[in-house]
Amino acid sequence: MDKVLCSIGTRGRYDTTLPLALAAIINQTKRPDKVVIFDDNENPRDVRNELIYKNLFQMMDIKGIEWEWRFAAKKGTHHNHQAANTMGYKWVWRMDDDAIPEANVLHELFSWTLHDPNLGAVGGSILTPPLQFEESFPTATMANIDAEPNIQWKYIHKRKKVEHLHCSFLYRAGIVDYHLGLSKVAHREETLFSNALHQKGYDLYVVPNAVTWHLKNPSGGIRSETDQSMYAHDEQIFQNFQKFKNNTIVVLNCGMGDHLVFSEILPYIKNPIVFSCYPDIVPGESIAAAKAFFGDIDQWNIYLKMAQWKWTGSLNEAFRKMYL
Amino acid sequence: MIIVSPYSKKLMNGRENPKNYPYWSVLLMEIKEKVIQIGVSGEKQIWPDFRPDLPLDELKELLMQCRTWISCDSFFQHLGYIEKKPGIVLWSVSDPLIFGHPENVNLIKSRDYLVKDQFLWWEDQEYKHDAFVDPDEVVKALELF
Repeated sequence: MDKVLCSIGTRGRYDTTLPLALAAIINQTKRPDKVVIFDDNENPRDVRNELIYKNLFQMMDIKGIEWEWRFAAKKGTHHNHQAANTMGYKWVWRMDDDAIPEANVLHELFSWTLHDPNLGAVGGSILTPPLQFEESFPTATMANIDAEPNIQWKYIHKRKKVEHLHCSFLYRAGIVDYHLGLSKVAHREETLFSNALHQKGYDLYVVPNAVTWHLKNPSGGIRSETDQSMYAHDEQIFQNFQKFKNNTIVVLNCGMGDHLVFSEILPYIKNPIVFSCYPDIVPGESIAAAKAFFGDIDQWNIYLKMAQWKWTGSLNEAFRKMYL
Repeated sequence: MIIVSPYSKKLMNGRENPKNYPYWSVLLMEIKEKVIQIGVSGEKQIWPDFRPDLPLDELKELLMQCRTWISCDSFFQHLGYIEKKPGIVLWSVSDPLIFGHPENVNLIKSRDYLVKDQFLWWEDQEYKHDAFVDPDEVVKALELF
């Protein structure tokens, strides 16, 4: 059976919704193999020996759920999710510290992974009382993202293919990266990430009978920064990705020889838009332009990728894995 | 004519690149054909005919004119591969199964010298003279070419 990691980032909610979220995870009818908690608090407190948490972690021990508390780097939730994404699990169930999944959620989401080799991610309803969107009919396409409510904000009655997911969902790990060019508020992080799976050719679904209650605690939270310029920065990056949504973005921030090897696979890449260090070898826009568009370009760093993949094949094959 | 590309990219910390072959002077004395050294300005000249900073088109032209070439693990071995002109590559700490091409003759003394993590900075690696094959082996490979 494929292993599932449950990843949850927390900030400012030690004493409110985080224990509720952990209790709900513990009481899943399908248990995750491991829970990792990324503590992004400005002033972290070691709660592991406090009564409530001690009990929760003992419950995990009793139920055979491995757990890990990580004091995170306070760079934003996307960095934490990216760490989880590369921890070696086949599937990651991403959770919020104010989201309370009903007991069957992981079982229901995971059941869809068993017979669909092309499944990239699957999510259920993410409901906040009072319900406001039951009469809406969102398309869940990127084209309509700014014109409609998120499809997960209402009860889902029928499985539906979508182009992006929100808040909490189960995804195939290690396929695409979280976008680390976003600011600490990580505005649109899950949209960019889930849509990247879609762009890579994997299917995304919303499914019925998997309800998570999102308590939207106004205090604390991973996006508790109020600096509007961070949101504007992230929105600009999101819009830049949308501009290239029909392209395969290629960023060659590497050596001359790497460009030569890459040049062999360029003809096979679907509609490439290239950013290159050596335009005489691989024509394209500059690396500075790539940084201006996307903020961070490490997700295209072929050496970083080969290290993450523990790569033993050829450089040519690594480029193929990244871009084809 | 034989092209030699003796040096890999300069390291940012100024140390010797652990991929640079240490026995060029001995090796070049054994080659009985015309030799042209290519590279970039600032690299040590080890042969009278040194042509630094050639544009890519001129490098390709030169490549087409040579009988073969000898290089450390640098961009030139990739150029030879892409241009379908095989040559001899002298390996030490980097892995020819990852960074090399089977179309070339890849001379490696022992895989025991390969660094464990192939994807970190070469700046962090110690230079090891004994990680490279002897010049005699290179000459033999050249004769068989």
